[in-house]
Amino acid sequence: MRSIGTRLALWYAGVSTATLVFLFVGGYYLLNGHLINGVDLLNATELEQIKSSLGPDTDRLTPAQIGERMRGMTAQASVLFYIQLHGPNGELLFTSPNLGNLRLPDMDVPGSRVATATLEGIGEVRLGEFSLPTMHVTIGTSLAQVRKVMEGYTETSLILVCLMLVFSVITGLVLSRAAMRPVRLIQETAHRIRSDNLSERIPVADVQDEISNLARLLNEMFDRLELSFNQIRRFTAEASHELKTPLSLVRLHAERLLTEGGLAPGQEEAVQMQLEEITRLNKIIEELLFLSRAEAHAVRLDFHREDPRAFLQSFAQDARALAEHRGMACTATIEGHGLVDYDAKWLRQVLFNLVQNALNVSPPGGHIFLTSDFTVESWRVAIEDQGPGVPAGQRERIFERFVRLEGGGPGDTKGSGLGLAISRSIIGLHQGHIRAEATAKGVGLRMVFELPLAGMPAVPPPGPAAPPVTDDPLD
Amino acid sequence: MPRGPTPPLTVKILIVEDERRLGQFIKKGLTERSYTVTWVPNCREARDALCETGYDAIILDLGLPDGDGLDLLREWRASGFNEPVLILSARDEVEDRVKGLDVGADDYLAKPFSLEELLARVRSLLRRQSAAKETFLEHRDIRVDLLARTVTRGCETVNLTSREFALLEVFLQNPGRILPRTMIAEKIWEAHYDIDGNLLDVYMSKLRAKFDLDPAKPLFKTVRGVGYQMLS
Repeated sequence: MRSIGTRLALWYAGVSTATLVFLFVGGYYLLNGHLINGVDLLNATELEQIKSSLGPDTDRLTPAQIGERMRGMTAQASVLFYIQLHGPNGELLFTSPNLGNLRLPDMDVPGSRVATATLEGIGEVRLGEFSLPTMHVTIGTSLAQVRKVMEGYTETSLILVCLMLVFSVITGLVLSRAAMRPVRLIQETAHRIRSDNLSERIPVADVQDEISNLARLLNEMFDRLELSFNQIRRFTAEASHELKTPLSLVRLHAERLLTEGGLAPGQEEAVQMQLEEITRLNKIIEELLFLSRAEAHAVRLDFHREDPRAFLQSFAQDARALAEHRGMACTATIEGHGLVDYDAKWLRQVLFNLVQNALNVSPPGGHIFLTSDFTVESWRVAIEDQGPGVPAGQRERIFERFVRLEGGGPGDTKGSGLGLAISRSIIGLHQGHIRAEATAKGVGLRMVFELPLAGMPAVPPPGPAAPPVTDDPLD
Repeated sequence: MPRGPTPPLTVKILIVEDERRLGQFIKKGLTERSYTVTWVPNCREARDALCETGYDAIILDLGLPDGDGLDLLREWRASGFNEPVLILSARDEVEDRVKGLDVGADDYLAKPFSLEELLARVRSLLRRQSAAKETFLEHRDIRVDLLARTVTRGCETVNLTSREFALLEVFLQNPGRILPRTMIAEKIWEAHYDIDGNLLDVYMSKLRAKFDLDPAKPLFKTVRGVGYQMLS
């Protein structure tokens, strides 16, 4: 899930856990230093013990006396401390028995009075070097206890960090969900607002915060959208009325000329031609108005969720009839099953456009192929002809309005020149995509449209060169 | 109800159309076919006219200067007027058509239309009330069994595709009448406009190949620019 809420929660958990880790690491070093300081103090205390054991006259003691006095003293302390005495010339005067044959090392760093060393068989030892008037005393204490404490500390810290991580992720998710709830409400409402309920608005809480301001802003946007939407509807209705009423009169009068009779054959032919042109003009008006409404998303389709198989079989019957009538053949291959949300009337219009175009460009005795299959996400229909085809660079242009290619492309020569633009618009309203491509055989053109299966996201255009027509700015 | 092309003078039709010349033209066309026609240009006069006398059918334009024809129709249906209504509109969109029929219109005709088509639809409107559903249809030597979905011509059975059968049925239910292309297409493909290209012509030629065997006595006649007619 890639929501802002999740990201916020993860950020929150990450930052709080990192802070805790930082604190624990700092604590580790402080505690470690503190414990080692304590060991140094112990070593210093042991020196006082040694001093008092040796007595005030150390400068006059023989090495044998020193050894004797020290042994008497270390009998009790030998468990904790490692002691080593040197004479002023570096000769060894005494080593505590717990050292065995081991020797405590000299300070590596000149001037330093304390150091940590690792001794074989004993492990880490903290050393303190002290000078008495006639000898050097080195006292060592094992750091095993300190290490044990630090390990315990680390273990506890790790457990706490893990707990913190879990806890902060949960808290973060709960908090972000609570914070995002108004946004989700806005999203749901905005999603619901479509062309058929454009007057619905997002409920706005009576407070002034970022979210309610956003909701207000969106509502204002919907106001503007509704306004322009209604303008388009009004415009198309009025344009329709204003254009078609005179068109009706022209047609009625032309027909009257025919029914009243008395026309010379040439005149009658001219009137017939007028009638045909009126029909064509009417079709262009219809299609232009449809396109402008489709661009404003002001067309309401009557979607039904069905397996398009039966629909396509019924269409194939008509396509075959059309092809046979022109001495051509049409083969339909309908494969697979799936549920698609579609408006059969409009989709049939698209199919008719494509089949008509394919028949128009096919050579005499040609063969057109209609295929339908399903992918995981979409329903795909292709219509292939054996015509001259369209160069790759022109294949997007044929979907533009009134575009006719030289040498008779698939643009319907007798039609309005809007057939493919309408088709693309209708497919766009179905969240699908339509494109022209070369056939596998290299001859002719293959028109393919894809519609998403029910519940699947819209079919994206295959490349940046093919924006859906419904996203064009309205000019 | 009269079944001939010339109705008696008692059939009264109300035309509500704001464009004067169009209203007059339709009135003239209908009057020539012996209907009694009243033409009114707006909602107000339409209300008055309907209150004064009863009509057998009403032709209603949607875009009226003082209101929407749909509102007027809704008002009529709500107050119990159930005269058949043919909506005449420039708005030829599925949703307008569906809305019109939902509100209670009986038929819908888009502008620009031909007078023949208007007449055909008015006749079918007038007939609709008395039409009884039959299970057998006969014309000349053709006999169609709508339940068994079989067709015989003389003594022999004729095999038809489902489209051809539907087409023949439409003609047999309207013998002798000029049927506009749009009206046929509506019945067979449920299309809201003239079905694209020459699909209807294609099926007509198939039907002709099967039934129109005698050139001296043709069964079907093409009415150019309008549609087809099955001759008696």
